[in-house]
Amino acid sequence: MISASSRKKDYWGWVKGYLHISPSIIGFGVFVAYPLIMSVYYALTDWNGYSKPKYVGFDNFNYLFTIDPAFWKAIRITFYYVLINVPASLIFGLLLAMLLNRKLPAIKFFRTAFYLPTVLPMIATLTLWKFIYHPQYGLANRILNLFGAGPLDWLSNERLALVSVIIAGLWQIGGGMIIFLSGLQSVPQDLYEAAEMDGARGWLVFRNVTLPLITPILFLQLILGIIGSFQSFAQVQVMTGGGPNYATLLLNFKIYSDVFGQKMFGYGIAEVWILFLIIMVFTLITYKYSNQFVHYENDNR
Amino acid sequence: MKTIYSAPAARFAEGRRRKVKTADVIRMAVLLIGTVAMLYPLLWVITIALKGNNDIFTTTPQWFPKEFHFDNFIKGTDQIHFWRTFRNSLFISIVSTIGQVLSSVVVGYGLSRLRFPGRRLWFSCFIGSLMLPGFVGMVPVFHLFSTIGWYNTWLPLIVPSYLGNPTFTFLFIQFLSTIPKSFDEAAKMDGAGDRQILWRILVPMSLPVVITIVIFAFNGSWNQYLEPLIYLVDQNKWTLSVALASFASNWTTQWNYFMAADLIYMLPMLLIFFLGQKYFMQGLGSVNSAGLK
Repeated sequence: MISASSRKKDYWGWVKGYLHISPSIIGFGVFVAYPLIMSVYYALTDWNGYSKPKYVGFDNFNYLFTIDPAFWKAIRITFYYVLINVPASLIFGLLLAMLLNRKLPAIKFFRTAFYLPTVLPMIATLTLWKFIYHPQYGLANRILNLFGAGPLDWLSNERLALVSVIIAGLWQIGGGMIIFLSGLQSVPQDLYEAAEMDGARGWLVFRNVTLPLITPILFLQLILGIIGSFQSFAQVQVMTGGGPNYATLLLNFKIYSDVFGQKMFGYGIAEVWILFLIIMVFTLITYKYSNQFVHYENDNR
Repeated sequence: MKTIYSAPAARFAEGRRRKVKTADVIRMAVLLIGTVAMLYPLLWVITIALKGNNDIFTTTPQWFPKEFHFDNFIKGTDQIHFWRTFRNSLFISIVSTIGQVLSSVVVGYGLSRLRFPGRRLWFSCFIGSLMLPGFVGMVPVFHLFSTIGWYNTWLPLIVPSYLGNPTFTFLFIQFLSTIPKSFDEAAKMDGAGDRQILWRILVPMSLPVVITIVIFAFNGSWNQYLEPLIYLVDQNKWTLSVALASFASNWTTQWNYFMAADLIYMLPMLLIFFLGQKYFMQGLGSVNSAGLK
């Protein structure tokens, strides 16, 4: 038997709950549900952002795959970027964390120094790197000059530009390092002692003790790295503008310039779907394959 | 547990220790070189910011300023209306940060402490939205905000902060779950309403996570680039990120002015980092892993 007063209380609890979460419900509607639903339609239209969208069926995708000279190039560049950038930041980040996970003098100073660049505003660092890569007066070539190496066209050489962008990104390696470091520090010390008792050293300890225990973090960083790298945009927007000759035309930057430069809203949204799809496929593949390697502590119950 | 070591094992450990020392020297050397590589670009900014313009464009590099031009910080910032832009960024960041904290705390409380139908469903929706890459919503949202007259205003940079950030909400919920419900119930017995329970009891108890949210929200807003770039056409309304990116491409002759301005743009972040280092380093892991746990 539900009395009138308890029913009233239920009703009030219902209202109260929804009042509390209403900001997020609105946010979910505006930033997730609405754009997702509208994007399905917009991707099939010819639309400049001002006039009424004109339904054109799959024309956008047709143009994308068969005519647009920059699309496949952008896909290729984006893959290169992700395939170099993600492993490089994971490996260097982990190596750095292992190096910093030692009782060495001034270790706190070292940790802070390596982490420091990551707290700087992204645009401050990207513009800085643009100056560092300046062919004549930039820091990069001046340092090369100290070692007698010739000046490089860091950002204007087609074959070098993408690598230069990635190197600039590695300045922020501290972000991954600090996460690996916290992972390494949570490996129980007695496991290392036990391994040492068994005579394991160096690589063996790393391979059999450290690595398995940090696979969850490694995996998380891998997924986040893939998702983040596919979305990279400001790097090339600030440093290269996608050039030279499309050599750094990351897909997300192409989307940005197609939409806000060329005013091809419908076309840009079609590209958004492609990028979204690529990210999902990559995430799923990573997820599937890493299940065999990732070791969760409460697995062997 | 040390007692179970046998004598040979202890001797073995001793021998290892000496060997480790040479390895440590190598490690230190690598770290030192790395540290120089990490910090030198920053030092370079500082030296250029202090140099006279002619001393930058020399054929033989000048590693330290010959004479110090502190006036670069004044002249450089004067020329580009730097302080107006700085105020814009500061205002937007502070107002957004307040919004992020308010909305995440209120939504987090609702999801974790109140019981109502649909709670779990909404929770999964909000958490699921973390997986959606940011650029997917960009164009339709841009069109929506432009249609309601928000183009070339700060509203698209501020209002979303008041609509609950899933990462911060989740972070707060995680912390709330470590606070026993008996605190709420005791307060309720004393006649406290939801507002008192949340702001007088739970928020003060979860101050570390609230500070973490403040730092990351401010950081995010101060760094924000894409939104100001696509929404703000009027230079008077620019934020520092857009202004500096634009100066970097147009202002190629006055490096010293640019570096001086860039340094001031970095300063608040450096300040927050050194003041709140603890929260910065701890929070980072949790902010990052909030997405997938």
